[in-house]
Amino acid sequence: MREITLSQAVNEALAEEMRRDETVFIIGEDVAEAGTPFKVLSGLVEEFGTARVVDTPIAEPGFMGLAVGAAMTGTRPVVDLMFGDFLFLVMDQLCNQAAKTHYMSGGKLTVPLVLRTNLGATRRSAAQHSQSLHALVAHIPGLKVALPSSALEAKGLLKTAIRDDNPVVIFEDKLMYNDKAPVPEGEVLIPFGQANVKREGRDITLIGTSSMVQVCEAAAGILSAEGIEAEVIDPRTIVPLDEATLLASARKTSRVIVVDEGHQSYGITGEIAARINERAFYHLDAPVLRMGAMDVPVPFSPALEDITVPTPEGVAENARRLVRGEMIHAA
Amino acid sequence: MAEARTNTEDYLRMYRQMVRIRTFEDNANQLYLSAKMPGLTHMYSGEEAVAVGICEALKVADKITSTHRGHGHCVAKGAAFREMFCELLGKEEGYCRGKGGSMHIADQSNGNLGANAIVGGSMGIATGSAFTARMLGRDDVTVCFFGDGATAQGLMYEVMNMAALWKLPVIYACENNGYSEYTRTDEIAAGSITARAEAFGIEAHQVDGQDVLAVNALTQDLVARARRGEGPFFIELMTYRYHGHHVGDINREYYRAKAEEQEWKETRDPITRFRGWLVEEGIASEDEIEAMNEEIRADAKAAVDYALAAKYPDTSEVDMHVYKGVTHALA
Amino acid sequence: MPHEVIMPALGMAQDSGLIVAWHKAAGDAVAAGDVLFEVETDKATMEVEAQVAGFLARVRAAAGDSVPVGEVIAVIGDSAEEESPPEAAPEPDALPEGHGVIMPALGMAQDSGLIVAWHKAPGDAVAAADVLFEVETDKSTVEVEAGADGYVAALLAEAGQEAPVGEVIAVITADKPEAPQQRSRSAGATPDAASASASASAAKVPGNTPVKAPEARAPAPTDGRILASPKARRLALEQGLDLQRLVEEGHPQPYHAADIEVLKSLGPSKVAAPVAAAQTRRLTADLPEDGFAAFATWARDGVGLDDAQALLAGLAAAGLGRDRATVAVEAQGDRQVYAVPHGPLSAIDRADAAPDLILRDLRLSRIASVALGAEDAPVLTLTPAGDGLTITLECSADQLDATAALTLLSEFAGRMEQPLRHLL
Repeated sequence: MREITLSQAVNEALAEEMRRDETVFIIGEDVAEAGTPFKVLSGLVEEFGTARVVDTPIAEPGFMGLAVGAAMTGTRPVVDLMFGDFLFLVMDQLCNQAAKTHYMSGGKLTVPLVLRTNLGATRRSAAQHSQSLHALVAHIPGLKVALPSSALEAKGLLKTAIRDDNPVVIFEDKLMYNDKAPVPEGEVLIPFGQANVKREGRDITLIGTSSMVQVCEAAAGILSAEGIEAEVIDPRTIVPLDEATLLASARKTSRVIVVDEGHQSYGITGEIAARINERAFYHLDAPVLRMGAMDVPVPFSPALEDITVPTPEGVAENARRLVRGEMIHAA
Repeated sequence: MAEARTNTEDYLRMYRQMVRIRTFEDNANQLYLSAKMPGLTHMYSGEEAVAVGICEALKVADKITSTHRGHGHCVAKGAAFREMFCELLGKEEGYCRGKGGSMHIADQSNGNLGANAIVGGSMGIATGSAFTARMLGRDDVTVCFFGDGATAQGLMYEVMNMAALWKLPVIYACENNGYSEYTRTDEIAAGSITARAEAFGIEAHQVDGQDVLAVNALTQDLVARARRGEGPFFIELMTYRYHGHHVGDINREYYRAKAEEQEWKETRDPITRFRGWLVEEGIASEDEIEAMNEEIRADAKAAVDYALAAKYPDTSEVDMHVYKGVTHALA
Repeated sequence: MPHEVIMPALGMAQDSGLIVAWHKAAGDAVAAGDVLFEVETDKATMEVEAQVAGFLARVRAAAGDSVPVGEVIAVIGDSAEEESPPEAAPEPDALPEGHGVIMPALGMAQDSGLIVAWHKAPGDAVAAADVLFEVETDKSTVEVEAGADGYVAALLAEAGQEAPVGEVIAVITADKPEAPQQRSRSAGATPDAASASASASAAKVPGNTPVKAPEARAPAPTDGRILASPKARRLALEQGLDLQRLVEEGHPQPYHAADIEVLKSLGPSKVAAPVAAAQTRRLTADLPEDGFAAFATWARDGVGLDDAQALLAGLAAAGLGRDRATVAVEAQGDRQVYAVPHGPLSAIDRADAAPDLILRDLRLSRIASVALGAEDAPVLTLTPAGDGLTITLECSADQLDATAALTLLSEFAGRMEQPLRHLL
């Protein structure tokens, strides 16, 4: 199968959906000729023109609000938010408006909008361009949240998101734009709420999101050499969450580590760990561990930044200790 | 007063709509004071000529966005008493099945994209609605209602900038009732309000918001021009709210003198003035007008009685309409 | 000072650049602003200009090469002559190639080992089975063999130093080394200690793990509760097993599903169940007169039985109604065990076995009453009470049932009151 980069996958998904549905348009800062700073959208304005690949002023709340109104009245905007950190700027329009309109109108109005943004540290971009803020939006009912872990998911989830009648926030890992993965030619649609079991194992379950799926797979490789077989699961969307697959794996292996690049406290790892604890408690042979990003603003210095995110070695070490039955935290 | 025209039906409908708004608000106020209505509400009484003068210049397919003080816009855009009262009382037959209430009534069948409880929160939505019209080649115009207080919100400047850049068919209608919640407008707004729009090259007008014919004539002109791609426009409508910021804002002499309220009611009431003009011009007799008022009072009473007796939504509806396409979000 | 020509980072998410063509060759004179080479990134091809004037030298990447951003691909020097690359710094830290001897993991929860002594010195010849060094772990000191034939080319830690398990601490080469090395771990020269410089590339560099340093597996204070995973508890419940058995066996907590297999292999409890153990019998009998002293005198003088304690054992054992019983008699700090067959008191002999009954004679003490709880065998205690005495029987419910306990005490009390009558 051909291999394409995550960046190309996003580009293809947008182009295909814009050809299929003329109400789909892209809006954001420097999305047209510039094709975004990451060059993800290069070439789209040439095909679809500036009426559908719309460059905006640097006014995130403004174009976010505009997109909400556009979505309510018959179009399908794909908003490009240059950095995930800028979510804080658009929170009212995203969380008070887009997320609640369908509910507040008793189901009369819909907001079929996609917000594409990114996450991921270790790009030496410091605290205001490195955050992984998906937990913030996953907290808000009415929003769906997708976290592609490779080019395949980036394409399949984005196309599904564009066809969804609800506001969907997709977080791409900005460090993975040039990572290649096999993506079949032709239609690729990945349904929401279906986790992907990336690797089967009997001893421990590693649940990873976005780029942490790679981290979990690398950890599973390390562990396998030691005779520990880890199961690796990528939820792919955290809202909706495929609880059944996660619980089945937890019951099978009886040990779980949840790995996510958002801050560890009050985050995705805690939410998934709590659900497993509530619904698979009597099958657990060890506490469910959370491994998120360190609870500090992302530092600039490489020496500091690299230690803030989970690593394969760190995941493997925790997995080893769980499998050995060590008391990770004093009882 | 504008010159008398021959379209008697239009004048009578404008009068009728203004009286319907006043009657609706009198009933809503009574429901609140008699503790039959949950939550709180913001009375539009005194500002009727603004909503009616503007909405009578719009087609059904034209859109409006509304505010926390939104009953007047809703009635003026064609909503029915019964569904409105049901919504105010949280009943199943309300416009939003009781999920929105006073501050979130949306009536998309009449082009009302909904009231908004975030001051200035709908400015993006209105601009986006205009963006849809332009992108899909529709000739809809969108009117964004907001108060003088909302001119302090940054979102307004972001979206006016884009609307002006892209010549969107949107009319920003600033209802200047002199008070930003419990504070005089001149204490919160520096400089000129119309100059704010003019800074973006947007044509701005100030009009007597108590003169329904003046409001209507201006709006007719601007709507026609907006349809031709000459938008956006900005109107500052000088008006007055008879009640406090909300229904419970009774003791308000610390920010507004009773004598001032009395003067506006006695000398500048939009309904009294228009009624006098209708009789003077021979468009309707006092008896005919009294009969119309009585009929509206009866309509309102019937709607209130119906709504009071109507059933609440089944509790199973609590997780419905969170997501389009998902019947029960928590199932 | 030559100026370094570096593969530039041009894209937002670019890791490397492909050199399309060089516009200058090594030795060429260049001026600042001259195009040096063309590079293709993820999106575009760009020309890269020289930043300084000079002569291009040490071109390390050719057209067609993909080079990580930040890497030096050439230098611009002061003279046309090819500057010789700096002498490849002899890496003082280079290790001889050979068989690496690692610090072995010997204990269950051992992170490192202390090198007590090296038995070989650098340069020594060794055989695979030779003891190379001694290591002290958490449990013991162990001699470790070389594991390979050859010569000690390097010792990477000194005696007295600790090394993490898995770390290479010695190298054995097949050929005799020219410069055998002795290092110290603190010199930072061991492979693990080599500091990894933080990469400036955009790649996700696995950093130090955010995991806390492993805690020693110390048993946590349990306050009498059994620490077990939810799954282990469920499995035990489903299979009718009692986790308390693992506690009795001293199996370390917390218990996991794997420990259930151990639990299944254990037999039933050897210790009384806590509930049964809690049921202790205590009966007392008051005797207005102590008839034993007279009896003992009679026995010594009349029939030659001079061991009064043996007589006590005989009187006590009679109440058990057994053919043969072992009785321990404790008096004034002395303990003597007797085998008491059914029959005449003269047949009693000393024995060395676990007693069926303990008789504790406190008649010469000031203790008036005892309640000591059950012991390994039923206990009869004699305490003074005026001219008479009190006899207390204490035992657990499973040692004597109620009837047997009553019988034992009644019989013994009767015999102590009128020994001769019972004898005859």
